[in-house]
Amino acid sequence: MRLIIAIILIALLSFAAEYFFSWWSLAVICFGVAIFLRLCFGSAFLAGFLGIFLLWFIVGALRDSANDHVLSSRMAQLFGLSGAIWFLLVASLVGGIVGGFAGWSGAIAGRYLFVNRS
Amino acid sequence: MRRIGSVIIPLFTVVLILLLDRKPSGSLPALGRLLDPVNGWAANATTEGDDLELSLKELKQAVTVWFEERMVPHIHAENASDLYFAQGYLHARFRLWQMEFQTHAAAGRLGEIIGEKWVVDERTKQRKNAILEFDRGQRRKGMIYAAENSLKEMEADARTKQMLDAYTAGVNYYISSLSFRDYPLEYKLMGYAPEPWTNLKCALLLKTMADDLTGYTEDFPLTLLREQLSQAEFEFLFPQRLSESTPVIPEGTRFDVHSLSVPDAADDTVWSQLSQSSLAVRHFSERPDAIGSNSWAISGTHTVCGAPILCNDPHLGLNLPSLWFEMQLQSPEMNVYGVSLPGAPGVIIGFNDSISWGFTNNYRDVKDFYEIEATDRNFYRLDSVLKPFDKRVEIIKIKGKSDYVDTVLYTIHGPICYDTSFPDPLRTGKMFALQWMAHRGTNELLAVQLLNKARDYVSFTGAIMHFQCPAQNMVYADRAGNIAMWGQGQFINKWKDQGRYVMKGNTSATLWGADIPMMENPHVLNPPQGYLASANQIITDSTYPYWYNGYFYDFRAWRINEILKENLPKDVAANMQMQNDVVSVLARHSVSKLAQLASFEDSTILPGTWNHALDAKSNAATNFQLFWAMFYDRLWKETYKNAIAPSPERTMQLLNLDSTANPYYAQMKRAAQEVREVFLDSMGKLKNSGQEWYKVKGTQLTHLARLDAFSYKNLEIGGWGNTINAVKKTHGPSWRMIVEMGKDSIVAWGVYPGGQSGNPGSKHYSTFVDHWVEGQYYRLLFLPNQNNQDNSSIRYVWNLKP
Repeated sequence: MRLIIAIILIALLSFAAEYFFSWWSLAVICFGVAIFLRLCFGSAFLAGFLGIFLLWFIVGALRDSANDHVLSSRMAQLFGLSGAIWFLLVASLVGGIVGGFAGWSGAIAGRYLFVNRS
Repeated sequence: MRRIGSVIIPLFTVVLILLLDRKPSGSLPALGRLLDPVNGWAANATTEGDDLELSLKELKQAVTVWFEERMVPHIHAENASDLYFAQGYLHARFRLWQMEFQTHAAAGRLGEIIGEKWVVDERTKQRKNAILEFDRGQRRKGMIYAAENSLKEMEADARTKQMLDAYTAGVNYYISSLSFRDYPLEYKLMGYAPEPWTNLKCALLLKTMADDLTGYTEDFPLTLLREQLSQAEFEFLFPQRLSESTPVIPEGTRFDVHSLSVPDAADDTVWSQLSQSSLAVRHFSERPDAIGSNSWAISGTHTVCGAPILCNDPHLGLNLPSLWFEMQLQSPEMNVYGVSLPGAPGVIIGFNDSISWGFTNNYRDVKDFYEIEATDRNFYRLDSVLKPFDKRVEIIKIKGKSDYVDTVLYTIHGPICYDTSFPDPLRTGKMFALQWMAHRGTNELLAVQLLNKARDYVSFTGAIMHFQCPAQNMVYADRAGNIAMWGQGQFINKWKDQGRYVMKGNTSATLWGADIPMMENPHVLNPPQGYLASANQIITDSTYPYWYNGYFYDFRAWRINEILKENLPKDVAANMQMQNDVVSVLARHSVSKLAQLASFEDSTILPGTWNHALDAKSNAATNFQLFWAMFYDRLWKETYKNAIAPSPERTMQLLNLDSTANPYYAQMKRAAQEVREVFLDSMGKLKNSGQEWYKVKGTQLTHLARLDAFSYKNLEIGGWGNTINAVKKTHGPSWRMIVEMGKDSIVAWGVYPGGQSGNPGSKHYSTFVDHWVEGQYYRLLFLPNQNNQDNSSIRYVWNLKP
């Protein structure tokens, strides 16, 4: 349950943060959420990865379908991928990896914070 | 272990973010910024097509923009300043990256955004940075110097100053509204940001056009040939005036006024001597025989509707985003429709509610080279005097590297284009200065503005008197029923052969003389033949009093004049067909001769029954085109490998001489025999990949940053540079326009290879490509000049409010 909350929180907060700050503000969110929810390493990575992967995939897919896949097809070609969907997946994967490691880092920081406190 | 992990994981995260946030050298983008759909790529997946209310504070009054489905904007403004502000704003909104990229290229600033690109030089076999060489070349040509000169002129005239200031403000209003998310996609890919627009950038864009159209030169190769050949042979192979040319201004037109007398020719000591130079090198740019254009006008007495018809298709580089942006401009002073250049205000080619006009390039030579005799880097000799060089320090920025500084020396003959540090094509080690009309401060923009407002022939001629460079053949038709043609531009009253070869710069005998008054340029109004045509051929017959040379073409002009004379197109449909004509005059007059010379047993290889059309799917066209190219190359390459070959037109004439009258007959026969086997061999190979002409030709629309994903390749289209539909591999008709100037209404058609949006993420990026390939046209929506429209073609309305 906490994992699902973490994923949703990360996706929503990152979406908002990215609107006002650079793309890597998502890492700060993943990091913070992992601390705040006291996630363990595995959950933190998974929450960061899935939260960002889903966010990037959904935002990309929504804009892409409104655009009739004009741009995603060209981007796929630019990166030598065989179709628009592959581009969406690969792009989201990159975001997911950053999110995952940022979450993991957050969990590590959290452990230090809370271990030190207790 | 855990301790190490607790350091490594955060460290890895930070490094990962840093890596993804910056652009690595090479072609990879900053992946994190780009792949992020919130601010990166997906922000460019646009869905144009909405009504908009925009608040643009700098406007004086409200401006309305109507869009049709094709996203052609029709701007209605209440004053000139608002009109050009809105035009600048819209150009930027649709084409910002292109505008900036083209002007960066013009100014020799590509290194700033691209960095370096190392390639192996074909001649020296040494590695060189091609981007730096390009940037230096632009500076050496004096592109920024030229633009600055014109800017002074344009800003000295209140009419163009207002036009430029308003336009620039409009572009900048858009730029200042952008955050990273809104940047055109190419900025995100290439990792840089738009800088503020300036009036100078408009000037740079216009100078780019001047360079594109008047930059070609044969001064060096012709100098060599003149030294190497006997005078008789030289004149026989490289005639200044090709027999049977059909000039732009019809033969027999009277040239009444000439206020200057042609100066006496200088003696033979004024030419630079190049022959000592290495003869093994050849690096003259290939003749770009598709940077040309067609235009014709047909008098109303000949047309079905009784109105004059004007046709124009300028041939330029085929790129995406397209060079042109289609639009209509309305203000109390004008109602004009046509194509504009993103980066410059006004409509360049088009029509207004009274007149229509079109351009083809006028290839008179306005670019000459002088060998400079310098004592050191400070002085050069002119007559018996030592004159100091002016120095212009060009600082070339290179991304990620330190600046490259090139000090360009300026002489009375212009900038030193070539010296030991930037060698000439022959690598003579000598210093050559470039005297070029494009260096002058000129105000073509005023001509554009006045053309856009012109009401009749008198105001048309008044307008074009400000159009100095690049010289253009300007075709004209109006609703009163007149047609006209001007070979317009600023020219020098030259003595015979002046500037045809590289001249010595140490004598004032070679200096450019007086300007020919522009009213004395060749022109004709309502000729008895009832039509006029230009296709980059020679401008006049030999009765024109002033001397000129140039780089003229004849095949298209021959074909156009043939059709106009024998089968005049009387309506719009026939003119559309004519603009898409792919009959090769060269093929018609050489295919059977070549078959004979090569003695092909198989009569289907170069068939006598072929209609000589270079149709997209024709196999015969492929055979002919390939065989001709091989034959032509073999024929002249041995003899003239150090220079240019006789023109294809002249070669065709020789081919058609009786074998006894043709001194080159044996050579031709040998060339045809020699390429026979190679030709048959390559035909065999083509059997697998496809023999149709369009497949072999491979016409493409190339994205300006040469990204394949944003380009269109192997378009199924016929033609070649020497047919009316002059589609080569990377050049072709950049805008096809047909206008019927009726007394009651104006009916106009047009198409260009591209789309209104410069964004590869927009469906309007390439909307017109299929139509263009198929030879189809759009009916142009010419709205009346009023602030309310009820036309059913209008899809979207943008209200721009102060």
